[in-house]
Amino acid sequence: MTSIVVFTLWCAAISTAIVIPIGLAISWALARLRWPGKSIVETIVALPLVMPPVATGLILLKLFGRRGPFGFLEVVFTWRAVVIAMIAMSTPLFVRSARVALEEVNVRYEHVARTLGASEARVFFAITLPLAFRGIIAGIVLALARAIGEFGATIVVAGNIPGRTTTLSLAIFDRIQLGKDSEAYRLLVISVIIAFVALWINEAIVRRRPNAGP
Amino acid sequence: MAHALILAAILHVSAAASLTDALREIGAQYQKASGDTVLFNLGASSLLARQIMEGAPADVFISADELWMDRLQSRALTVKSSRKSILSNTLVIVVPSDSSLKINSPEDLASVSVRNIAVAEPATVPAGIYTKQYLRTRRVWDRIAFKVIPTDNVRGALAAVESGNVDAGIVYKTDALISQAVRIAYEVPRAEGPKISYPAAVVADSRGKAAAQRFLDYLSSEPARAIFRKFGFLPP
Amino acid sequence: MLVLDRVRLPLAHFELDVSFETKARATGIFGPSGSGKTSILELIAGIRRPESGRIVIDDVVVNDVPARKRAVGYVPQGESLFPHMTVERNIRFGVRDHQTENFIQRVVQVLEIAPLMRRGVGALSGGEAKRVALARALVTSPRLLLLDEPLAGLDRPLHARVIDFLIRVRDELRVPMLYVSHDPAELQQVVSETMVIERGTVVG
Repeated sequence: MTSIVVFTLWCAAISTAIVIPIGLAISWALARLRWPGKSIVETIVALPLVMPPVATGLILLKLFGRRGPFGFLEVVFTWRAVVIAMIAMSTPLFVRSARVALEEVNVRYEHVARTLGASEARVFFAITLPLAFRGIIAGIVLALARAIGEFGATIVVAGNIPGRTTTLSLAIFDRIQLGKDSEAYRLLVISVIIAFVALWINEAIVRRRPNAGP
Repeated sequence: MAHALILAAILHVSAAASLTDALREIGAQYQKASGDTVLFNLGASSLLARQIMEGAPADVFISADELWMDRLQSRALTVKSSRKSILSNTLVIVVPSDSSLKINSPEDLASVSVRNIAVAEPATVPAGIYTKQYLRTRRVWDRIAFKVIPTDNVRGALAAVESGNVDAGIVYKTDALISQAVRIAYEVPRAEGPKISYPAAVVADSRGKAAAQRFLDYLSSEPARAIFRKFGFLPP
Repeated sequence: MLVLDRVRLPLAHFELDVSFETKARATGIFGPSGSGKTSILELIAGIRRPESGRIVIDDVVVNDVPARKRAVGYVPQGESLFPHMTVERNIRFGVRDHQTENFIQRVVQVLEIAPLMRRGVGALSGGEAKRVALARALVTSPRLLLLDEPLAGLDRPLHARVIDFLIRVRDELRVPMLYVSHDPAELQQVVSETMVIERGTVVG
């Protein structure tokens, strides 16, 4: 049981670590730029939120299966597919939070920073990001929580392989399917504890930055 | 032994979830005996088949019914000659363990004292498909169809009976054995029941066909059969 | 020193079309609110790009020069100090290594903000915040300082004081400035030439 929890947390951590830079880039582009076809990108990013997770899983399977364009990577049925599923499902949530947070930062501060000689990178890291801190942290916690709870897409593209790809949520589902309710409940309690810890960390981080935010 | 180590393979076996416990034991035994590593991917037969259709790296496929095996075979995704049925099962009618309901034949399901019957979705879940097939041949289905509460899967049907929310349910014998809160009211005799079969085959795109075949052969061997029997399965 | 040559920019209700030239140390831009004054400053600072026309600062066409390289100081209307930094960090934000510490101290002295350095931005009064914003723009030694309604939001008694500071910036630090206001009396005290704007065009 510990190994399932450790495996899930490990995959969720990797997935979130990948989601943050990619998600920030997408959120920033959506918040600050305009270009033809922007709504297409918005839709694609929002899709996993709107479709049933299994559908997202099927799309991932089509992309990463042996017959798909990324089949050569051979990630299906491995922990990498777990991470990919987690990324696919938690990115939309992160982008949602981060985009709003970035949009709420008054561009005037960014303009002034530019006139003071700051490069785009400096504007982003010294001005925009710190001012959007709260919303972005919330997005990270959401992404992490979503990754830990991810199930529907994972089971399709990573399979339910005990010892290799069984995540916490999958294990709970599995035990229930097999009538092993007491084991299921134990895993459920662990999930709830993890959720509490995540929320507590979120609070702690946000509380320590009184000046963040306009 | 050294010979086995040189040829040691990693096998991906996609198998119906209902076989989980039995396969875990069989897998452990097989690994010791052959030196190969067996990784089981457990899930609904429909999902497993979809994965194989999209090129997921499975070596062996064990389905809970012929339908999904047929589908893969028609797409040339399995090695036809390797296909064989490895198990069978019986249907049972279960009632809550504190129920006094007496079921002596499937026709009793039509009686007024049976208000609702939980069955795994008769259109897609193997257990449900077999149930409908069986009750049709007994000419009972049309009389009880309106009482049928379809559930997402067998576990759901079992849970419905356990909770007392339905008067009866129809599941596999192997499922009924899991639960303490239900009692088997009627066991469909093998001769009368539908021909329940768990077909297994080597996947056409497998990169370890020899190892896959070896495992398939093992599933029909006596040690494996003994374990299956222990969990309530019948030989094919 | 500053030339706007047929600079055009479509705005919400009209098109901005400005041609103007000045060599004065302090120039005013006068017009009613909504006439495009702020947009002109944004164009000069490099925050917005004109649709056509040339912007020339000190004989250099800066159209394709990004804001961070234009060396134009900008003090916009409203809150502009970075809220998550102290006064000192705000002021030093644009300072690169070669800017001398002496000059920074000079600016701080002229604007009388030395006692404010350690404070958070939220702990400043309106007048103090304006002076800090001024200092922040000045320490980068800009070749041109843009002021958008510097007295906006300040109580009347404070106006004279801030105007005083601006005159000191003009005369002691000798930084050329462009001063936007809707109040002619205010402008009169600081600038020697004025561009009059109405609905996007220069009328005087």
